[in-house]
Amino acid sequence: MSGKTTNLKALHELTRQDSRGRLMTLETKDDRTLFFDMLPLVFKADSKDGAMNLRVKVFTVPGQVVHASTRKLVLQGADAVAFIADSQISETENNAASFLDLRENLKALGRSMRDVPCIIQFNKRDLTGVRTDLEIDDLALRGKEPVYKASAVHGRGVIESFFGLLEGAWRKLDTVHDLTEKLHIEPDAFLAKAAESLGYPGRWRELSDAHVGGQLKAGRR
Amino acid sequence: MSAMEENDEDVTADAPIALEDVVDREALDDLCRSMYGLFDIGVRVYSSQGVLLANVAHELDVCRFVNETPGSRAACGQTVSAAKNVDPGESGEVQHTCFTGLAYRIVSLEHEGRRVGRIVLGPYAPDTLKEAAPALAQTDKRLDVVQANERLARVPRIGPVQIVRIGQHLKETLELIIFSSHKAWVTSKMHLYSVRESYRELQEKTVRLEQTLARLKEVDRLKSNFLATMSHELRTPLTSIIGYSEMLAEGIAGPLQGEQEEYVRTIHTKGEQLLRLIMGLLDLSKLESGTMSLRQAPSSISPILKEVMSTLTPVARKKEVELVLDDDAEVCELAADAERLRQVFINLVDNAVKFTPKGGRVSMIARVKDVPAARGDDDDDDDDGMIILVPMMKAVEVRVADTGIGIPASERTKVFDAFYQVDSSSTREYGGTGLGLSIVKRIIDAHGGTVRVEGNDPNGTVFVVTLPSAQTRRAALPSRVPPAPT
Repeated sequence: MSGKTTNLKALHELTRQDSRGRLMTLETKDDRTLFFDMLPLVFKADSKDGAMNLRVKVFTVPGQVVHASTRKLVLQGADAVAFIADSQISETENNAASFLDLRENLKALGRSMRDVPCIIQFNKRDLTGVRTDLEIDDLALRGKEPVYKASAVHGRGVIESFFGLLEGAWRKLDTVHDLTEKLHIEPDAFLAKAAESLGYPGRWRELSDAHVGGQLKAGRR
Repeated sequence: MSAMEENDEDVTADAPIALEDVVDREALDDLCRSMYGLFDIGVRVYSSQGVLLANVAHELDVCRFVNETPGSRAACGQTVSAAKNVDPGESGEVQHTCFTGLAYRIVSLEHEGRRVGRIVLGPYAPDTLKEAAPALAQTDKRLDVVQANERLARVPRIGPVQIVRIGQHLKETLELIIFSSHKAWVTSKMHLYSVRESYRELQEKTVRLEQTLARLKEVDRLKSNFLATMSHELRTPLTSIIGYSEMLAEGIAGPLQGEQEEYVRTIHTKGEQLLRLIMGLLDLSKLESGTMSLRQAPSSISPILKEVMSTLTPVARKKEVELVLDDDAEVCELAADAERLRQVFINLVDNAVKFTPKGGRVSMIARVKDVPAARGDDDDDDDDGMIILVPMMKAVEVRVADTGIGIPASERTKVFDAFYQVDSSSTREYGGTGLGLSIVKRIIDAHGGTVRVEGNDPNGTVFVVTLPSAQTRRAALPSRVPPAPT
């Protein structure tokens, strides 16, 4: 209950209409065997060969312990992962357990966290009993993932987190498949256009820098 | 993809859907028929592959008339074919005019930002149409344009706003059907996968359980043999020696003279010493072979240390050594075998008391500490998710410090070797089997912890035991340590 679906709903709300698809929620209310959401997004990119549509599917995974197989299935094709953590101190243990589960699921799929770009979002910043910003800043220095602070229910930090995810995925795919060379899409231009599609009024580099910690920053400029 | 079956369809993949796969044709036909009934306009639905999925239209009177002349019939065929293939452009909808002056409305069907098919509405008469287009007369000279115009006049007129709305309504309805059908498809795929994956996991677990069972049976058999031998062949006669020497010493078999009594008491003491050695060896061999089962359960260090304190206070008092416990009472859940940990600290504290002279001090200091970032247990993932895991990564550190004779720095790493004695001379002052610390080390190792020796300025020794919290152990060995009950 860290706010995965709320994040997706907020992302759907905030994204420009021509870039977002219909939010799909898969829920079987009888036995709750499955539960996840999917939001298709389309980003336009200018390449030397003309305009190109880049299609992104954003999935949430079911949080419940019993849905390991659904989580694995969703993870098997993931190009990047956003880990949504609950900022409440009382949820520290659940966050850790979920993170370990993510790590184990990736391992079971023959992947590792090293291959899959990951961002961490500390959601529910609006609640009481949460870790302070200073604590999060301090903790973020100890990890390699970019960390975002959010209140998805108010739409805060959602675009920033998603942009970090998109940027991580794009740069990883670019490294692996040499997209810049093959598709002639200039990464900065793509990211600038993506920021517009996400309804961000400012400059994309501000969006790109809206995180704390993380080694991603050092390696991408 | 190792754990997944290779032929599993990946529902997260971005394969375009085929309209013919997800839409029920009969239901589609019904929908188009009701649209036709409402607006009297023909409706055709094509998939992106050009497959005609629904065709609800009656030939208009004017069309039938025009089709009677060969030239016009050919032109009609071309128009229909063009309507089927014309690009609806960026906006996804376009009007395609027929040579008669009638028109078709072409609206593309989209799903997840992709064109998956098209709706062709028409032919219909735009409300601006007064008479047949000049092109009609040119298709065939034999065509009677006046009659064609009369028939054209009877086709109901539809305004541009209305035709756009009809097209949009049909498009939205169909896209909703496509979305729902796709959703049902994903759900069924996901269910299928879940069941298949659960079955595969169960099979794997069964195989692992069977292997473990076979191994445990074998180990159990070996252990039973070993224990039987040790218990019977060594302990039974030894128990007799201890028992009879004790009876002799107590004068049950008659009074003994001074020197006789002293010898018998020596036999008894050495017998007890040998029994402890055998028991220690038993423990050590069990720990080394991995057959000593640790009953790891959620536990806390405080009650263990308090118990050690109460057990050894009389011993310390007798030796006039001060024994103190300094536990800041911060709770840190361990996944540990409390009984084995008690054995560890009894051994360490007992040793400390033994090597501390009268008037000295032995202290147990327990603190909860953060585990350093590099855990070293997991090749690639050491710094993954540290922000999430660090708050959970705690360890309990217990320092057993004495003010005794101390251990020289060069000897400190060797004290955990079996049978090692710092003073190995035959005239050594302090007794002991040399097994206690090696047992301590193995028990601590089995808990994922560490033990080391430090000097205690100005004299004495500190044994530092570090035990990872249950959470930290789960981070390192998630499959081996059960989660704490909630």
